Amino acid sequence: MERAKEGEMTDAKRSEVLQGTLDLMILKTLHALGPQHGFGLARRIEQVSRDVLQLNEGTVYTSLLRLLQQGWIAAEWGTSENNRRAKFYSITARGEKQLAVETENWERISGVVGRVLRLEGES
Amino acid sequence: MGYERIPRPRAFAARVAGLFGPRKRDSDLDEEVQAHLQLLVDRFVAQGMSREDASSAARRQFGNSMRLQEDRREVRTLVSVEDLGRDLRYALRSLGRSRAFAAVAIATLGLGIGASTAIFSVIDNVLLEPFPYKGAARMVFLRIHDSARGEEAGRQGYTSNEILEFAEQNHVFDGIIAASDDLVLYKQREGAEPFDGAHVTPGTFEFFGMPALHGRVMQPADYLPGAPPVFVMRYKTWIERFNRDPGLLNKTFELNGVARTLIGIMPPRFSWYGADVWIPETPGREVATGYAGMPARWFLLGRLKPGVSKAQAAADATVIANHLAKIRPQDYPAHFQMSVKALGDTVVGRFESTLYTILAAVGLLLLIGCANVANLMLARATSREKEFALRAVLGAGRARLLRLLLVESLVLAISGAALGVLIAWGGLKSIVAAMPQDTIPSESVIELNAPVLVFTLVVAVLTAVVFGLAPALQAARRDLNDPLRDSGKGVLGGFRTGRMRDTVVVIEVAVSLTLLVGAGLLMRSFVALRDVHLGLQAEHVLQTQLSLPADRYKTAAQVREFFEPMLARVKTIPGVVDAAESSVLPPYNGADSKIEILGKSHQDEWHAVLQNISEGYFRVLRIPFKTGRAFSEAEINDARKLAVVNETFASTYFHGEDPIGHRVKLGALETLADPTREPWFEIVGVVADVTNNGLQDSVLPEVWVPYTVTGSGDKVLLVRSQQIPMALMNDVRQAVWATDAGVALAFPGALEDRISQQLYAGPRFGFLLMTIFGCLGLILVSVGVYSVLAYATARKTHEIGIRMALGAERSDVVRLVIRAGMRLVTAGVAVGLLVSLLLGRAIEAELSRGVKPYDPETLVGTTLLLVATGALACWIPARRAARVDPMVALRYE
Repeated sequence: MERAKEGEMTDAKRSEVLQGTLDLMILKTLHALGPQHGFGLARRIEQVSRDVLQLNEGTVYTSLLRLLQQGWIAAEWGTSENNRRAKFYSITARGEKQLAVETENWERISGVVGRVLRLEGES
Repeated sequence: MGYERIPRPRAFAARVAGLFGPRKRDSDLDEEVQAHLQLLVDRFVAQGMSREDASSAARRQFGNSMRLQEDRREVRTLVSVEDLGRDLRYALRSLGRSRAFAAVAIATLGLGIGASTAIFSVIDNVLLEPFPYKGAARMVFLRIHDSARGEEAGRQGYTSNEILEFAEQNHVFDGIIAASDDLVLYKQREGAEPFDGAHVTPGTFEFFGMPALHGRVMQPADYLPGAPPVFVMRYKTWIERFNRDPGLLNKTFELNGVARTLIGIMPPRFSWYGADVWIPETPGREVATGYAGMPARWFLLGRLKPGVSKAQAAADATVIANHLAKIRPQDYPAHFQMSVKALGDTVVGRFESTLYTILAAVGLLLLIGCANVANLMLARATSREKEFALRAVLGAGRARLLRLLLVESLVLAISGAALGVLIAWGGLKSIVAAMPQDTIPSESVIELNAPVLVFTLVVAVLTAVVFGLAPALQAARRDLNDPLRDSGKGVLGGFRTGRMRDTVVVIEVAVSLTLLVGAGLLMRSFVALRDVHLGLQAEHVLQTQLSLPADRYKTAAQVREFFEPMLARVKTIPGVVDAAESSVLPPYNGADSKIEILGKSHQDEWHAVLQNISEGYFRVLRIPFKTGRAFSEAEINDARKLAVVNETFASTYFHGEDPIGHRVKLGALETLADPTREPWFEIVGVVADVTNNGLQDSVLPEVWVPYTVTGSGDKVLLVRSQQIPMALMNDVRQAVWATDAGVALAFPGALEDRISQQLYAGPRFGFLLMTIFGCLGLILVSVGVYSVLAYATARKTHEIGIRMALGAERSDVVRLVIRAGMRLVTAGVAVGLLVSLLLGRAIEAELSRGVKPYDPETLVGTTLLLVATGALACWIPARRAARVDPMVALRYE
């Protein structure tokens, strides 16, 4: 609900959960691993969530743009491992704060959802 | 650090910038995407895929890159063309569903924009910037009037000697010119045609500072004695009388018997003194004979030095006038005052206050219109709260909602603006058509005023957009569940309580009532004017002015030798009942004359207006005799010194005594070019009063004498016919030209039309405009009352639901809503009545005699009309409220 109020969702046809989660995952990855380029982020998320999420890697860029506009991440041109020009993204102070809030939200909601699902499972 | 940080406020800026220049950013992102795809391909190849498979697998894994393009633009910009199209379709569909709302909002905007632009354009062109001349604001003329009589009765014509004295002695003008009018006869093959001519003094064209459109203006050399005679022509005359003939320049015309060369045609807006042609003349010191044998009089126009006030100029001119009064005491009243008038006062005069009243009315209407649109928008927003809450819940962002509403508001605003421009354009055309002639300066060209139009458009569009966005702001600010609960809270800061909206409605009602009262009073006044008995029957009378060549018609005998046979000829035309000569066309008076009556002594000066007539005059106009008789044909032909007076003359100077047989001296006849010696006339008859001083003011004492006593003075021909007067025009013209082909017929027409034009056009115009704006106000008020009540009712749906659930009848609900609305209407009516009474004084000057500004019938009538309209406006939302289903209304509690 929080995300909907902020109004950054642009297409009702897409699953809201995935989008919100992707933002959260990117923030978390940047927080944990420091500056990354888009390809690196996609690899990292793929690595962590293999077999669970079918990620369209293009959506990573949509998510990055959105986070940039919120001022939660920053971008800078640099050189990648294989000497290609690449844009590196890093989390900002405000991004860190947002990450904390979102993480807490996520945990609370997933905890609730988990409990509810368990209840149903037992009945 | 080279970080590209985008703080939140800049995110919006970035989006706005994204509207215009997304290209560079796009290429940045393309580069990133390409690099990403390449890395994926490399990776798959390293895993052992073929290059082809790797590339398609990479694309699969990356997802639809076109999709990304759109996502990106969606994030980055407010609107994409595709989205705009979608929003537009949505807006049209949504407005199509509430057609009544859309129509009312568009009409309100359109009326407000159109009416105020049209009226302000008129005011700007007529009152603010009527003259195209250099320093026109400082151009003034002088008027001398008897301290004991009104300023209107003063004179503004001066002898050439007076002109020269003012020009030489003054300390306040940096330029003085003068003009005297002259009917100029232009000789053609068939007969003579008249021009409105003006003799202009040296420096005239330099004074106005306008060059000729074709050819040249007059040079100082053109004024010198012995210079080749020349003249300059007005643009309109060139267009209308000579069909824009380019070969006209440098042609020679025979004007008043003198061969003059046309040296220049002036630009369209130059029309000094309203003349067709301008003829150079250098005024001399001696008193000259001017048009129609009257002493020549010049109209003086001066340009004040910068910084000199009208009062200073009047004081300076008074000193000079006091000196002049000693030289020619007969031209000056014993006690007189000089006043200085602006050039615009020559024509606008009384009309000015009408226009300003209407401007105020229209400005208020624009405000009312905007307030209405704001209220309508808010009312609609309230009724759509749930729709927007639902959209927000389903994930529509604030930007998206804003965009949706923005497009909707813009559709309304632009349609309203388009309608407004149409109304302004059409309105202006009809105003110009309805405008009485000769009430505005002929120099002023009335056209749509672009800056005003833009201003009103911006005001109205802003209103629609700002208030149209209200629900989006509200949806963003509120808890999404709010609209599902009670919605008694405010929407916008300034509108936090309903008091503001209520006040607007009260003001609307008050303004509208004031307008209606004004319109009502002017209407009654107009009706009263139509009821004024003119004292003559103008139907079936043809009138035309006759211009006799001055060189051949100087004496009374010469004039009689033309009129006697001419009148006889006209009377033989089939269809002609009677014909007569006169010196003045009804409904105005003739020359003013000082009078004396034998055997009566008095302190103050006695005056009467004087007319020369032929024998048939009273018969042609059907003016009845009270006592005595008319002149006989023989008495006219013998130029007997007999007089007929009107009832006012008899009652003013004889106080009930029978005036028949008394002798009256008419001083003015001694001063003419063809003077009457010993002008003592014996009164032989008294006729009923005929309007001779306009409809508003009382009839002046009047004297009629045989036209044969002097060769001077205007000559007009009046013909009573059996059919439509203008049908006789050709026959009458032939009869005149058969007698003397050198005589011109000027301004021919039906007398009825002339009277209507002269007397009724002005009041009719004011009354028409006020009525139109009064009705507009009424319409807007209904919209205003309706929109506020609709808004309040929509917000009270739940309350109404509860009331009904608790047992309230539908009639109770209707009563509840109507009572709420009528409370506002009543308050507005009270305020409006008060304002009308206070403003009554302002409008009093425009009312005819017998109509008081607190006319009870008008006040009661307009109040009833307004209350009825208000009740109707209350009834629609009341009926809607009564249809509220308590179950539906309460479901959201």
